[in-house]
Amino acid sequence: MNYFPDEVIEHVFDFVTSHKDRNAISLVCKSWYKIERYSRQKVFIGNCYAINPERLLRRFPCLKSLTLKGKPHFADFNLVPHEWGGFVLPWIEALARSRVGLEELRLKRMVVTDESLELLSRSFVNFKSLVLVSCEGFTTDGLASIAANCRHLRDLDLQENEIDDHRGQWLSCFPDTCTTLVTLNFACLEGETNLVALERLVARSPNLKSLKLNRAVPLDALARLMVCAPQIVDLGVGSYENDPDSESYLKLKAAIKKCTLLRSLSGFLEAAPHCLSAFHPICHNLTSLNLSYAAEIHGSHLIKLIQHCKKLQRLWILDSIGDKGLEVVASTCKELQELRVFPSDLLGGGNTAVTEEGLVAISAGCPKLHSILYFCQQMTNAALVTVAKNCPNFIRFRLCILEPNKPDHVTSQPLDEGFGAIVKACKSLRRLSLSGLLTDQVFLYIGMYANQLEMLSIAFAGDTDKGMLYVLNGCKKMKKLEIRDSPFGDTALLADVSKYETMRSLWMSSCEVTLSGCKRLAQKAPWLNVEIINENDNNRMEENGHEGRQKVDKLYLYRTVVGTRMDAPPFVWIL
Amino acid sequence: MEKEGLGLEITELRLGLPGRDVAEKMIKKRAFTEMNMTSSGSNSDQCESGVVSSGGDAEKVNDSPAAKTQVVGWPPVCSYRKKNSCKEASTTKVGLGYVKVSMDGVPYLRKMDLGSSQGYDDLAFSLDKLFGFRGIGVALKDGDNCEYVTIYEDKDGDWMLAGDVPWGMFLESCKRLRIMKRSDATGFGLQPRGVDE
Repeated sequence: MNYFPDEVIEHVFDFVTSHKDRNAISLVCKSWYKIERYSRQKVFIGNCYAINPERLLRRFPCLKSLTLKGKPHFADFNLVPHEWGGFVLPWIEALARSRVGLEELRLKRMVVTDESLELLSRSFVNFKSLVLVSCEGFTTDGLASIAANCRHLRDLDLQENEIDDHRGQWLSCFPDTCTTLVTLNFACLEGETNLVALERLVARSPNLKSLKLNRAVPLDALARLMVCAPQIVDLGVGSYENDPDSESYLKLKAAIKKCTLLRSLSGFLEAAPHCLSAFHPICHNLTSLNLSYAAEIHGSHLIKLIQHCKKLQRLWILDSIGDKGLEVVASTCKELQELRVFPSDLLGGGNTAVTEEGLVAISAGCPKLHSILYFCQQMTNAALVTVAKNCPNFIRFRLCILEPNKPDHVTSQPLDEGFGAIVKACKSLRRLSLSGLLTDQVFLYIGMYANQLEMLSIAFAGDTDKGMLYVLNGCKKMKKLEIRDSPFGDTALLADVSKYETMRSLWMSSCEVTLSGCKRLAQKAPWLNVEIINENDNNRMEENGHEGRQKVDKLYLYRTVVGTRMDAPPFVWIL
Repeated sequence: MEKEGLGLEITELRLGLPGRDVAEKMIKKRAFTEMNMTSSGSNSDQCESGVVSSGGDAEKVNDSPAAKTQVVGWPPVCSYRKKNSCKEASTTKVGLGYVKVSMDGVPYLRKMDLGSSQGYDDLAFSLDKLFGFRGIGVALKDGDNCEYVTIYEDKDGDWMLAGDVPWGMFLESCKRLRIMKRSDATGFGLQPRGVDE
């Protein structure tokens, strides 16, 4: 089969970088499997319990970059107890023991401790890049170890983590010899920041491209930082309150004008809106704008800023922008690819800031739109049908109508037809989140049309098991299915057990599945971990048959090649 | 909002385990339009709207007053974002809502809703459940018989022994809790409560 020596094939494989493609290559023949595994440098593990570090290292001994994901997605919404699992320490320990040349570690929803960070920092001489997203369990002491010990650190990117800020001096732990930083993102830290150490660090990092500050960095410090780093591409502003006539503000304005490479702006955690005009000179270059934490910037200031951003590709914003604001976006941002509109008023007090009209306007004005996350108070089938017609290229479509079970507000009908139109038109749809009043019909549509769908989020939807069955039978590419508060039970769960081998995971909470149903599933599918999460009472789940009819509160099942995990807390029962 | 106002509880399937709080499980199709998020009784802390403390706080499920009909984890906004959108609210309403609780020897912190405890006894019970350790409650009630002391950080950033001030005052000023080993606190003149009364 091979007409070329292995080195040539390996060289060809070097050009293949996507995980999917590399996985496909490794299935072609034994020889390619072998060549691929020795040349694989980047590995992505979507569920840290699907495999263990020993097997990973056996297969990919030349690993340089590892991505791990821990808790299921619904953990973001407090549906998964903190101690559920997803501990990174065993992975780092195993990697350290094996002396693999780890350079990059990317973690999402994992429990990270200071101990693991310390071990990480000491074990890998060439370690360059640490990206932590939605992780927890560590403090700034752990960051101090990374800063102090990783001599070639390029990226320290902390996104939306829960970090206990000991208000220590972690920034001063970067040695004076550290000049390699490219990314420094500590926006999620709550505590004070040593501004002097920060400024010195930025001044000696000529390659720094991405800098995201926390709210403890005030405007005058920002001005000084911008002067040191005119090469910045991606900026997260911390605190942004100041008098527009003050010297710092004038300095900032002058410094920003020099940042001709700036393409991405975020932060504004505490922002005085009238200062935004300092950024107007560079807005025409911006491709990414995240104002979703800038609760104090309202309507007109937002719009004034956005009107300058003609090249915007990605926009994250609060719904305080309003339908009118979205119309401005639609007429200005013709290059827009991704839009996220977050709720500003989490009390749901009837604030109708954005409605279906804003969504329709965007779909009409932005032909390149492929990803949307939209929180709103109301929706109609007609609007969704129009959106589907305007934007058949959606890859991700996540609509969240704030009130569960809300029907079409004009016709009072369920929103089945609207979502049906979306899945029918958007042939490349990979991710979908549903909301509003929905019957089994919407799932019939999804099963019929959503051929590329990989991730589906369902809440308060459907009538009977048929709904879930349509999805399981129809969506051949389904990887992650997460369902809450919907009337799907054992019949749907058990209909096709082999389906779960083709999926990464299934989450069902507050549904109709029973303990005996889950037990039967576990029996039929030993290659699945079937976890019952039952935090309310330690001994509630009894063994005898009578109790088997109990409804299971939270079910999480996933395929795995390494069997039951040993680190589950007492309230997680693995069948 | 009273649960009786729904009128559908007889016909509704009850999800979840027996003994589960019915109010929480009344969140089902078509009943939800009755849910009024602005019912002020349940919004004692603005940040936590939409999040009844069930993540990790085992004792809370049986503890929801009738007014607390909010749904866990809804709207689906990640907790980091929820926390940071409410920044203003959380600084003005110190003590109400979730505070971090750390315990010496435990590598991770917990969060608990002080507002849902009725007093020091209740707090003691909640802390016991949180860490699965039966001694903490004793520390609050009866100073010297326990391996641990419970201290809290107040608005001024000072660490105070829990139990000295009236409950209401404690609620107002408590920013975070720490369960410390008594041995670490020796020499600080900790007297059994009875001595000073």
